[in-house]
Amino acid sequence: MFDRVNTLLLGIVLCAFLFVVSGCPKPTPTPQGDAASQDTAGGKGQQQSKTGESTTRGGSLEDAGKGKLPVSDGPLKEVYFAYDSFDLRPDARATLKTNADWLKANSSARVEIEGHCDERGTNEYNLALGAKRAQAAKDYLISLGIPAARLSTISYGEELQVCKEQTEDCWQKNRRDRFVVTAGRPAS
Amino acid sequence: MLRKLLIVIFAALGTVLFDARPFYSQINKGTIEGPRRIIAIAISPLKNLGSGDDKRGLSESVADAIGNDMKMSGWFRVLDRSAYIERPQESGITLDSFDLKNWSTIGAESLVKGGYSVQGEDLTVELRLFDVYQAKQLVGKKYTGKARDFRRMAHKFADEIINQFTGTPGPFNTRIAYVSKSGGALKEVYISHLDGSEKSQITNNRSINLSPAWSPDGRMLLYTSYKDGQRSLYLYDLAAGRETRIAERSGSSIGGKWSPDGQTIAVAFERAGNTDLYLVDRSGKTLRRLTEDKGIDVSPTWSPDGNRLAFVSNRSGSPQIYIMDVAGANVRRLTYSGSYNTSPDWSPKGDKIAYTGRVAGRFQIFTIGVQGGDPQQLTSGSGDNEDPSWAPDGRFLAFASNRGGGRYRLYMMRDTGENQNTLTASGSDDTNPSWSPRLE
Repeated sequence: MFDRVNTLLLGIVLCAFLFVVSGCPKPTPTPQGDAASQDTAGGKGQQQSKTGESTTRGGSLEDAGKGKLPVSDGPLKEVYFAYDSFDLRPDARATLKTNADWLKANSSARVEIEGHCDERGTNEYNLALGAKRAQAAKDYLISLGIPAARLSTISYGEELQVCKEQTEDCWQKNRRDRFVVTAGRPAS
Repeated sequence: MLRKLLIVIFAALGTVLFDARPFYSQINKGTIEGPRRIIAIAISPLKNLGSGDDKRGLSESVADAIGNDMKMSGWFRVLDRSAYIERPQESGITLDSFDLKNWSTIGAESLVKGGYSVQGEDLTVELRLFDVYQAKQLVGKKYTGKARDFRRMAHKFADEIINQFTGTPGPFNTRIAYVSKSGGALKEVYISHLDGSEKSQITNNRSINLSPAWSPDGRMLLYTSYKDGQRSLYLYDLAAGRETRIAERSGSSIGGKWSPDGQTIAVAFERAGNTDLYLVDRSGKTLRRLTEDKGIDVSPTWSPDGNRLAFVSNRSGSPQIYIMDVAGANVRRLTYSGSYNTSPDWSPKGDKIAYTGRVAGRFQIFTIGVQGGDPQQLTSGSGDNEDPSWAPDGRFLAFASNRGGGRYRLYMMRDTGENQNTLTASGSDDTNPSWSPRLE
């Protein structure tokens, strides 16, 4: 009787041990949802982008992944552009000066400048136009004394809209640069 | 004597000239641009030539798929099945084994009949096209494959029907790759048959995926994705279900199009705000830089002989279509009308380029001859029409439109602008179509 109980207890302990050992979480989280594709060696970019930044960079794409509108919510204000243009208007330059002041006061902060377009026009050209808009702001901030190493750029073209109405008011809101503070992350 | 002869000759001539019956495969056979007028076609449900039940509904499904292709071409009027007199199982499929009067009575000028047999998963389909008035078979084909391939067989025969009437096979044994919004702003790449059936999701990374483009052999797709943070170019092997990142150049890519010989990819890279065109190989290694100006240079498209590229540049101050040779030299501006011309696609026939142009604040599809000259506007109306993609026969274009308000859908039309028909209605925005080459 006693032996049987012991054996049973031993069995239970062994099972529990095996259960715990085999149930350990895997060290690298596999990317969710790539059911349609498997990454080969060529897809090594899964866990890190070429610039060495993590893929969770904050900003508008991350907002989209969470189902949020990509509106600015940080300490730096957006600048706006005229249709088809990447010129910095006086209002844009004034905002950039204010942003530069903040960056000088927060010298460890790094910023990703996102260039955006309104929804008119075609996707590829708008990606290139958004890049011009982001670079225009970056160049101006550099001219105001912000080191280039603190500034990175990315264009989202017309892909991430803050509003959907087909009105000039909404279109102007989308023709923007957004400044996402990525403090503490290594820039490229 | 002479008078009698003349009367006979005149009578004979009169019979030929004034005979009202359409001699379709001889007289009504049109040019590559289409038959001379809309052809009334009946497509009979298929006869089950095997022993099992029609569990899969193949009898009607094959006929439906052919009929849909005929309608989409705009060249045929498909007679309603409710008017058909024959029952497929009770009549033969060869010319001598059924009564053509059953079809001429209901107004059919041409007729498709056929049969199928299924053994397990294996399917054989036999299809025949008849000229009803001439009482002859124009073409017959037999296809074998898996039961799930029935649509492909239908598309192949639809292309053959079109070949009989225009001298060039139709565009239906193809696929369309496109981008569809998958929740908020996220976009994934899909492929489907032209009629929207057999939709298959290619990317599933919950990011923004753009600009799908087919390889010339129809086995791979290129697309651009933000899945790794910055935009990169990816290659997807359809048979293997495998994705590979191929951009090695620093800077982020925009689009990417395969050369006609499948060896080179033309792609735009953006660096420090400036976007220029490059040629890379399949591993992403840079072969040549094509443009070097401060303006935006983007959206390359290859000529069918692989010697030239059309692309978009704003070097003149506004986005316009240009042509250059594959070494990046001999740059020539093509578009001079309008202040926004983008998204070029070079026709497989080599003579025209389709593109998106802004007119009166709206975006429309245009074509322009490769030598230049006046563009032809193909779409009009209150919506936006964007991103044309040529069918491999060079007679049709797919494009995206939000006409009618609301979502973008994919459409197909003739390269004359006629016969604009919806391709997809997915309930989400469908954009950026890429028409595949002809498939096996």
